[in-house]
Amino acid sequence: MTGDLPADVGGLTAALDRTGYLADEPLATALFLATRMPAPILLEGEPGVGKTEAAKALAAALDTPLVRLQCYEGLTVSEALYEWNYPRQLLAIRLAEASGATVASADLFTPEFLLARPLLAALEHTGPRPAVLLLDEVDRADDEFEAFLLELLAENTVTIPELGTRRAVLPPVVVLTSNRTRDLHDALKRRCLYHWIPYPAADRVAAIVRRRVAGIGDPLADQVAAAVQRLRGLELYKPPGVAEAVDWATALRVLGIATLTPATAAQTLAAVVKYDEDLATVRGSGLFDD
Amino acid sequence: MTEPSPADLAAVVARFGAVLHDSGVAVGPDRGERFARAVLLTRPATTRALYWCAAITLLADPADRPAFDRAFDLVFGGMVDDASARGLDTSPESSGANVPPRPGRADGGQPGIGDQPSGSPPSSPETRSPYPLIATSAERLGGRDFAKLSPDELAELAVAMRRLRLSSPPRRTRRTRVGHRGPALDLRATLRAARRTGGHPVRLRRRRPRVKPRRLVVLCDISGSMAPYARALLQLVYCAAATGPRTEVFTFATRLTRLTKVLERVPPTVALERAGRAAPDWSGGTRIGAALRTFLDEHGARGMARGAVVLILSDGWDTGPPEVLGQQMARLARLAHRVVWANPRTQSAAFRPLTGGMAAAWPYCDAVVSAHRLTALDDLLAALADPGPRHRPRPRVADPVAAARRTDHSDSWGR
Repeated sequence: MTGDLPADVGGLTAALDRTGYLADEPLATALFLATRMPAPILLEGEPGVGKTEAAKALAAALDTPLVRLQCYEGLTVSEALYEWNYPRQLLAIRLAEASGATVASADLFTPEFLLARPLLAALEHTGPRPAVLLLDEVDRADDEFEAFLLELLAENTVTIPELGTRRAVLPPVVVLTSNRTRDLHDALKRRCLYHWIPYPAADRVAAIVRRRVAGIGDPLADQVAAAVQRLRGLELYKPPGVAEAVDWATALRVLGIATLTPATAAQTLAAVVKYDEDLATVRGSGLFDD
Repeated sequence: MTEPSPADLAAVVARFGAVLHDSGVAVGPDRGERFARAVLLTRPATTRALYWCAAITLLADPADRPAFDRAFDLVFGGMVDDASARGLDTSPESSGANVPPRPGRADGGQPGIGDQPSGSPPSSPETRSPYPLIATSAERLGGRDFAKLSPDELAELAVAMRRLRLSSPPRRTRRTRVGHRGPALDLRATLRAARRTGGHPVRLRRRRPRVKPRRLVVLCDISGSMAPYARALLQLVYCAAATGPRTEVFTFATRLTRLTKVLERVPPTVALERAGRAAPDWSGGTRIGAALRTFLDEHGARGMARGAVVLILSDGWDTGPPEVLGQQMARLARLAHRVVWANPRTQSAAFRPLTGGMAAAWPYCDAVVSAHRLTALDDLLAALADPGPRHRPRPRVADPVAAARRTDHSDSWGR
């Protein structure tokens, strides 16, 4: 049933690497286990350490579709799971009227009138390899939605009142990400593998920047990584993450800047520092005066 | 490592699970089984690989990692500690026994406080009737300052507090419910109705957004002089938890402690006792600005304070620089829907926020209440439930009677 999924952690690391995502051993182990056990995996970490990117890269590495559901408060089942195609049902009623037939409600609630939303689409994906289902920022959804997710994650089934229970053809690889805006329910956490993605070391950031920004020179990538590292040492409201380092390097490359000097850093600081107070802190710290 | 036989592996996993359990990391057999399956899948060749296998399958919270590392060391030995600081320094309190609350601690207040009520004096025996009745205890004790009540007398007030309703202003959610009026059509209900009228949608059913109470975030100062008030306020939150909005509780003296989880399991006295143990430096005064900053960085800015009603209980004696408090209050005011400050010192009419922290925080508060005794809690509840005008008025000491009479000129049909 596994098709041709990676056979070991090293294989998956290499496959992720080919898609342009550098995963360290712990993260690769986590994703490998999520794929092979299979079990849902919950990724947590600071904003901008590459949680969402990890899921995208996993889908690319496995060569399967990525089904993404961005969670928010008030997310309903009709947006996440399925919705009935009402205009089509209305038409079906009128057509039946015109031909003199009667319409029972069982005729209107059949699979042909069903619109699959992300969760159902991921469950009904037929392979050859399981789809990757990304539930992004699951902490922003509310408790009711979490309870509903539990059934989905535990059983890989979905109950639609009019149609009965639908079972997954090929259980998707489920990746949940969370920014810890609130604590997830223990029952949900218990069903998931868990990995906290720490902020990587400077040399790793440089490697990621080189990988993500085409045509950037080695010295500049190293300089950007070192500068971001120093910025993280200041007490900023929003310490820059890996994503900001990549943005910064991209900005420098677009402007055609080849080395990071105090002047060019100050010029492009807007790509890294997102608060006025933080800008003042950075300017006052004298980091870029050397 | 050599290839484990399944029987071997089961024994090792079971032992590791037991050691984890003893060190306070809750690991059920379901996770143990998952760990075993992961080991068979990955065939870890190094202790390091085994470590990650175990961490991913058994852990669910970075706060448990230190205990987990120790347990791993104990069972598998020779583990290199590469678990760098992974954020979140809140080590979970081991689920201790139900510690009987110590009587009110009469420790010295903070430096430079003259008119502060110090810790609770022993309750005067002549006011204690042998058969206290609920209504009379509220009458008898309701008018007295929380700082002058013994823990037992405070516990008597719990019943009266249960009758108080904590509520926060509503906010519209994205969810909807069927209604006769509303912005959106409910096609499903309309269609069901249309089947009765020959497929013609004669009656349109609509949907309108549901409303939910906003989250309430309570930040409690538990430094020496504030402890009695903090105890009373936490008791109020605890008593009203069943009916009120979702509430997050934090305490601070020298460092910030999150009590939400603890309060779900134990009564407020025990929770405070634990928070006090976590912050042993009672006489060092309060660093409100720093505590507020920690709260905003770790919880508030991520979403906890966004659109919430934030209640701060403190006397405003900040040992840090007042500009820090001012900056953090400005941040908080930009995130939160309403900021209510409960300060027992405002009970005197002569109180003026002229110095230090309180003066810095004043412009960012939507209401300031005293909340120093049971009969004053109505002001607090009114301040929390007040939906508030869209613009921020000059904050004043809340007076619900006057507020009810006051006409709001921003309101086009008020008169």
